[in-house]
Amino acid sequence: MAILLFLVVCLVLMLGYPVALTLAGVALMFAGIGELTGTFDSSLLGALPNRLYGVINNPILMAVPLFVFMGVVLEKSKVAEQLLTSMAELFGRFRGGLIFSVFFVGMLLAASTGIVGATVVTMGLMSLPSLLKRGYDPAFSAGAICATGTLGQIIPPSIALVLLGDVLSNAYQQAQLKMGIFSPKSVSVGDLFAGALIPGLLLLVMYCLYTLILIKRKPEQFPAVLDKRSIDLSFVMQTISALVPPLLLIFLVLGSILLGIATPTEAASVGAFGALMIALVKRQMTLPLLKEVMLSTTKITSMVFLILIGASIFSLVFRGFGGEVLIHDLFHNMPGGLIGATLLVMLVIFLLGFILDFIEITFVVVPLVAPILLAMGLDPIWLGIMIAVNLQTSFLTPPFGFALFYLRGVSKELVSSSQIYKGVIPFVGIQLLLMLILSIWPELITWLPSQIYG
Amino acid sequence: QEKEVQVAQTGAVEVETIEWKLVTSWPKNFPGLGMAPERFAKLVDEMSAGRLKIKVFGAGELMPAFEVFDAVSQGTVQMGHSAAYYWKGKTPAAQFFTSIPFGLNAQEMNGWLHYGGGLELWEEVYEPFGILPLAGGNTGVQMGGWFNKEINSMEDLKGLKMRLPGLGGEVLKRVGGVPVTLPGRELYTALQTGAIDATEWVGPFNDLAFGLHKAAKFYYYPGWHEPGTTLEFLMNKEAFAALPADLQSIVTIAARAINQDMLDEYTSKHIIALDSLIDEHGVILKQYPDEVMKKLAEVSKVVIKEQSAKDDTMTKVYKAYMEYEAGVRKYHKISEDAYSRLRE
Amino acid sequence: MNRVEKLTEFIGKGVSWFTLFIVLMTLAVVVLRYAFSTGATAIQEGALYLHGAVLTLAAGYTLKHDGHVRVDIFYRHFSSRGQHWVDLLGTLFLLFPVCIFITYSCFDYVLASWRYAETSVEAGGLEYVYLQKSLLLLLVVSLLLQGCVELVRHASALFANKREESEETGEQG
Ligand code: NA
Ligand code: NA
Repeated sequence: MAILLFLVVCLVLMLGYPVALTLAGVALMFAGIGELTGTFDSSLLGALPNRLYGVINNPILMAVPLFVFMGVVLEKSKVAEQLLTSMAELFGRFRGGLIFSVFFVGMLLAASTGIVGATVVTMGLMSLPSLLKRGYDPAFSAGAICATGTLGQIIPPSIALVLLGDVLSNAYQQAQLKMGIFSPKSVSVGDLFAGALIPGLLLLVMYCLYTLILIKRKPEQFPAVLDKRSIDLSFVMQTISALVPPLLLIFLVLGSILLGIATPTEAASVGAFGALMIALVKRQMTLPLLKEVMLSTTKITSMVFLILIGASIFSLVFRGFGGEVLIHDLFHNMPGGLIGATLLVMLVIFLLGFILDFIEITFVVVPLVAPILLAMGLDPIWLGIMIAVNLQTSFLTPPFGFALFYLRGVSKELVSSSQIYKGVIPFVGIQLLLMLILSIWPELITWLPSQIYG
Repeated sequence: QEKEVQVAQTGAVEVETIEWKLVTSWPKNFPGLGMAPERFAKLVDEMSAGRLKIKVFGAGELMPAFEVFDAVSQGTVQMGHSAAYYWKGKTPAAQFFTSIPFGLNAQEMNGWLHYGGGLELWEEVYEPFGILPLAGGNTGVQMGGWFNKEINSMEDLKGLKMRLPGLGGEVLKRVGGVPVTLPGRELYTALQTGAIDATEWVGPFNDLAFGLHKAAKFYYYPGWHEPGTTLEFLMNKEAFAALPADLQSIVTIAARAINQDMLDEYTSKHIIALDSLIDEHGVILKQYPDEVMKKLAEVSKVVIKEQSAKDDTMTKVYKAYMEYEAGVRKYHKISEDAYSRLRE
Repeated sequence: MNRVEKLTEFIGKGVSWFTLFIVLMTLAVVVLRYAFSTGATAIQEGALYLHGAVLTLAAGYTLKHDGHVRVDIFYRHFSSRGQHWVDLLGTLFLLFPVCIFITYSCFDYVLASWRYAETSVEAGGLEYVYLQKSLLLLLVVSLLLQGCVELVRHASALFANKREESEETGEQG
């Protein structure tokens, strides 16, 4: 029944009714049928109010409207476009200068927030129009933006890593206590942050390499900036005025976190307010435009959270049909050997990433499997980062990756779903390649934490 | 398969199996706090020969951590494991049943609850919510917390940004500190970057697991704000009433056993963890200056009295608690405390 | 129906101001703590309440503007009639049941919070947790109001006389 539910949801999603309501509606319909046929533990549905209140009362998720606000201001006031254009003009003699600028800005943004929804939406708002305007291939642009946007999940700070750190640290303790180690070693959020840094940057480098290869092969898809200008004083001034404020803004967000002025969530408000100030100073912010910004922020926020609510209802029903027992049994009969077990876990997490958000996976699946894998001698930091990269890949994979929904949600007339799907596939491939690399050379993950924390 | 064998062994009579759900405020596998409900479920299963099965859900699995009370009250689940001071917003008197600044220690809390009328009061406080409480473990005196600033005088508390929830936070505020409200998930980053100067957590066993020593230098003692943190089992009243009398006994007695078991485990594991923190991780252990403790104790008295006056139920519990506290303090002065001094 | 749509529009525009307030309030918390060493739990919680209000109250407004994301690989290629059918059936069999179920499931939960006038757990927090919890029911109201409008819109597009239909294009909202 749990599998049937999964399949039917996939089919109904394809019809095109809003994702959030489809997830919730189909799940409830199944719950009704299950209740009538006695195959469903309906008492679980009683937990719905508790879960929904948990969604609207989660202070960490407040980063979503804050970052969206910043993104919309930068988009509507054209500050983002001017930034990207100027950067592209600076690298004007190179083909694809604009896309590398997008990667760079995306990296900075990823370093300043930990919520995937927020980075994808912000990147989509800021850079997609510019890319398309300059004649970039829509599919490639959409893919690049989704991929860069999901970087927010592994480049610290990252909510996914914080939650994983929480769960893994407990699993690690349990595994060691079971092995009779009573002065156990610990793994903390800090370890995971440090462990994620090199893989995150490596991933970015791989995106760039892939893009370079594409440029070599299909140069016509990567136009250089058309109006190549001679470098004179007015060009320099214009470049500086376009470049400095928004970059300063992102460094301000990042700095306020690193200097301990604000928490990552609060830093998002520094970004939003700063964006507003830049737009004001540049005389690109008027009251009607502000109203537009607020309305747009409202719609996007509401879209993101209705998906979270729908996914929450779905996973509750999935549980009620014994979805969790299914997973449990699967892992109970895990193939022998560390490699087989790890592969299986990774595959299941990847598949579950299509339908459950990372909160569900972190709290339901990881506590089931982590103690077993860790007791087999797996490094907890390595496991945490692999799960994070895996989930990030899953969120990027068509047709149900959450990141794709979010980008589609903010790019209505610009690109179609099928273009997003097409464009994102190579990036999914790159991420899988990264996971392979990380499996062959686990030191890429474990070296930095061991240097920092001994 | 094992279940079938069990049924066969109990004889020809069909045995009814009752299934309960228990939600907790702790992540799955959380050392100490999170293990108590797991052990409780196992114990009940064994004692009842499988007639009462309790499935335990960690925080976030079925619902967020702080929804436990509502879920038990509404009958969504039959049981919960949590701490009473989280329900201050529903009934402020609940705070007395976990721990209050400069209040009772573990041994005294157990005395008050089980032989001093405390549990009856607790039941009265939860009565309007359809919940029955039972003591569900104790951490012992907690640690003062993790600091990146030294505390040498009251002056050092001025402007100190510390995550310190509840009554302790209120006390800190009165002496010029800044109690910071922060989601637990941002705690580690906030302490590491310096967005806050200090935080409290539990004690060495949990603090080592959380890795707080990687984010702060100084480890202060004692935990004046939580000297005997008592955990709780929550039971939906109707669900409990529907149990046959022998199962009711089993649940109550298993809870009582786990209540003691947690304290025993913490007492032993804290020792090893503290050694590891100091010897292997170079943590600097520091004691709060006497002057600071004296002042905080004074302010705590005032704060607790003030807050208690705002709510009738809380006033009643306050009076009973303080009366017991005065009595046990007097006796412990010549017994436990006198002996402790001897050992120095 | 026209009035209902106006109400949805009014609510959406109203709560959109909250997004600005959220930014300013969160910033205020940072400034107060860092520059003035003052905690501001009430402001923090106020911003969280407003945040909750945005995502619940604006659900209907977002629906009106077709802002809830779809998997539209096939949908966009459907005829206008086909799209109306999807939306009509979706409203009837997905949106309405979800709304009814959330109401049924959350009503007692919200009521209980009102009964004991639930307040914040934090020192210096707000005393209106029951209002915040009521947002769960307002989410339903917001979706239902606009859901009715959608129902009428798609039904009349499908079942009104055929001449009007030919004027419609595939685009909507
Ligand atoms: Na990040
Ligand atoms: Na504590």
